Amino acid sequence: MFEETAESNAGKGTLLVVLGPIFGILYVVLLPLIGLMTLLLALPEYANAKKPPVLESADMCMACHSTRDMAKIFRNNEKLSVFVNADDFKNTVHSFLSCTDCHQKISMESHPGRAFDSRSAFALDASSACRTCHSDTQLQAKPNHAYLANKTNGPPCAECHGAHTVKRISEWKPALADNQFCLTCHKQKISKTLNNGEKLSLLIDPSHLKASVHNRHTCSDCHSDFSRKSHPMKKFENSRDHSIKVSEACRKCHSDKHTAVRESIHSKMISEGNLKAPVCTDCHGFHTVGPKATYDTMSGVPCRKCHEEIFKVYSKSVHGMAKANGQHKAPLCSSCHFAHEIKVTAMTEKIKGACLGCHKEAEALHKKWLPNSELHLSVVACAACHSPNSGKGIYLRLYDQATGKPFTEEQILKLLGTNYEGLSLRMNTHGDGINSGELWNIVKQLNEKGADAKVTFLGRMDVSKGSEAHQLSVKKNAVKECENCHSSNSAFFKSVTVAVVKADGRLTRYKANPEVLGSMVSLLSLKQFYVLGSTRLKILDWIGILMVFGGMSVPIAHITLRILTSPIREAKRLNGLRKEGKR
Amino acid sequence: MKKIYLHPLPIRIWHWINAGSFLILIVTGLQIRYRELLGLMKFQVAVDIHNIFGFILIFNFFIWLIFYIFTGKIKIYIPPLNLKKFVMGCINQARYYGYGIFMGEENPHHSSPDNKFNPMQQMAYLSIMLLLIPLQLVSGLLLWDIKQFAGWINLAGGIKIVDTIHVFLFLFFTSFLFVHVYLATLGHTATAHIKAMFTGYEEIEGHGH
Repeated sequence: MFEETAESNAGKGTLLVVLGPIFGILYVVLLPLIGLMTLLLALPEYANAKKPPVLESADMCMACHSTRDMAKIFRNNEKLSVFVNADDFKNTVHSFLSCTDCHQKISMESHPGRAFDSRSAFALDASSACRTCHSDTQLQAKPNHAYLANKTNGPPCAECHGAHTVKRISEWKPALADNQFCLTCHKQKISKTLNNGEKLSLLIDPSHLKASVHNRHTCSDCHSDFSRKSHPMKKFENSRDHSIKVSEACRKCHSDKHTAVRESIHSKMISEGNLKAPVCTDCHGFHTVGPKATYDTMSGVPCRKCHEEIFKVYSKSVHGMAKANGQHKAPLCSSCHFAHEIKVTAMTEKIKGACLGCHKEAEALHKKWLPNSELHLSVVACAACHSPNSGKGIYLRLYDQATGKPFTEEQILKLLGTNYEGLSLRMNTHGDGINSGELWNIVKQLNEKGADAKVTFLGRMDVSKGSEAHQLSVKKNAVKECENCHSSNSAFFKSVTVAVVKADGRLTRYKANPEVLGSMVSLLSLKQFYVLGSTRLKILDWIGILMVFGGMSVPIAHITLRILTSPIREAKRLNGLRKEGKR
Repeated sequence: MKKIYLHPLPIRIWHWINAGSFLILIVTGLQIRYRELLGLMKFQVAVDIHNIFGFILIFNFFIWLIFYIFTGKIKIYIPPLNLKKFVMGCINQARYYGYGIFMGEENPHHSSPDNKFNPMQQMAYLSIMLLLIPLQLVSGLLLWDIKQFAGWINLAGGIKIVDTIHVFLFLFFTSFLFVHVYLATLGHTATAHIKAMFTGYEEIEGHGH
């Protein structure tokens, strides 16, 4: 049994010798080969495993939506192509979704033709699908989204992110040029609530921006504290506060204009707390700043926004009509009032300078026919004669006789040691217009208190309202007759105003009683104002009548007495003759 | 009847230029001042005429001044330095006009080339010719161009004051004119003095003066 075992063992050994190397070769060569093959076979599966079955279920949708000719028409006649670019979609973050994942109301079985009012209404509806996956919590993690998510008028998701081309913002926004970066949000109808509850639109129309003179600037050139990395949330009290603060940005480049504006009456009003006065943006707009010529036209002149009444008067004037007829040299508001250092021109020499600036020959022409033309031109406002249908009046202003300069309200208040209300009370004690006594008191008080100042009233003839200074007419309508002024019946002398001028040119008007012009009491207070034939002292007329009658009565009385006493002389003569006869 | 040469030619010329200018200045002055009451001419015409005759009057004043200074006859305007004599002369003259003339008395003053004016005339004409007329001429000149003469006007106290002086003197001269013309008729005939102002010769009733 042992031998048999040995024999059988010898037969088994031969088999192992044969099979061993075979298995060895197989093990060394085939296994890696099998592994490699398996790997090669598995790799495509691996690669494909990342990709979903692209649009497999969408094939049916794409049968129609891959054509470019079809469009959806909304109720407002807007059109939207229904073409979906499958290749683009494959590259989006949503490429793993099927059409119906988002368009849930549409399926293989049902494709309701839904009608929308407008493209935006459709976009809003379509964008609601995004919220299926993107929860409020996820949206609120980003401040912009948190702000927009709960706004009823917020833009639909697709406005910023696109519809079938949706990408992560971080993938495309940083690549945008500066302005486009900001406009991503600001071309949307977004707004901001100001402290007083006002809504401030933050929408910037890119077309306006493009048309403005600032179209080469980036947003942060003006909004310097905003950048790709910084977007401070600013607080403004109200829209005026916003305009005033934002206008400071203009100063960066336009410092000359800014300095000029600071000299203006508008700037003064703002500094006094009158926020209605305009700042840069009120005239030039925010993002629509046009070239200079924009503001030099009848339709583009920004002043009319506030000074509409005066503008209406102006547009009917010889200047307004010339401007409207295309005469570019015809003056517009800024020609007389300046564009930035806007001045109150009422009753100052400046306005005369403005007129003579264009009408260079005016002084010489007046000299040809107007006696004492220099004097007339200095005390009669141009408009007083050249606005024929305007109201007229005499304006009495306090002047420092030594310097020839107007004595300003500030100087008067300082000298009298009073305030504005105090001055009003002193000016018009009884509230019935300043009379000659009150007028004299003012001059007396000013000259008593100010040892250095020689304050006196000077008169000026002007139109009665500021707007009337704008209704200038053609030359042939101008007043030329001396009698218009040189007669006590003239309309000028029926209206007398004491005008107290602030340093910036603004006037406070105090009504005066026209009797002041002809009162003996005003002889000293109005010693520097006299118009031939019009402001004569009434008392002098009466003295004159008395003197002339006195002069006439001397001969009359003397002749009468001579007649009455003629018998005495006759008797004396006869007596004398008798005496001579006797002799 | 005796004739004395009382008014030399330059004085007669001066007098009548003065008279005409005065009348024109009074009329135009009234027209300027009372435009709404008078409608004789346009304002500007009145002003122009007033200015022209104003200057004629200024020029004329110098005829008078130069004539009297260079001939030394200015002394006929100077009242006697003897105060008592002057006062008595004035009283006598006033008494004559207020009493004597009615009683048929003779004028206490007898004009001669060297003693043309009675003391009252001397007083009146001296102040008129050396004070009031120059004042009127100067104020008129200042008012003629108030821009050019602004400094002088300020010195005088202001335009209204200058004008008030001018108007007051205008009223004075106007009223004085009545008296002056009336007194001119008080010669030995009503026209004797007036004729003399044309011819130069005053007829004097022969009293051996």
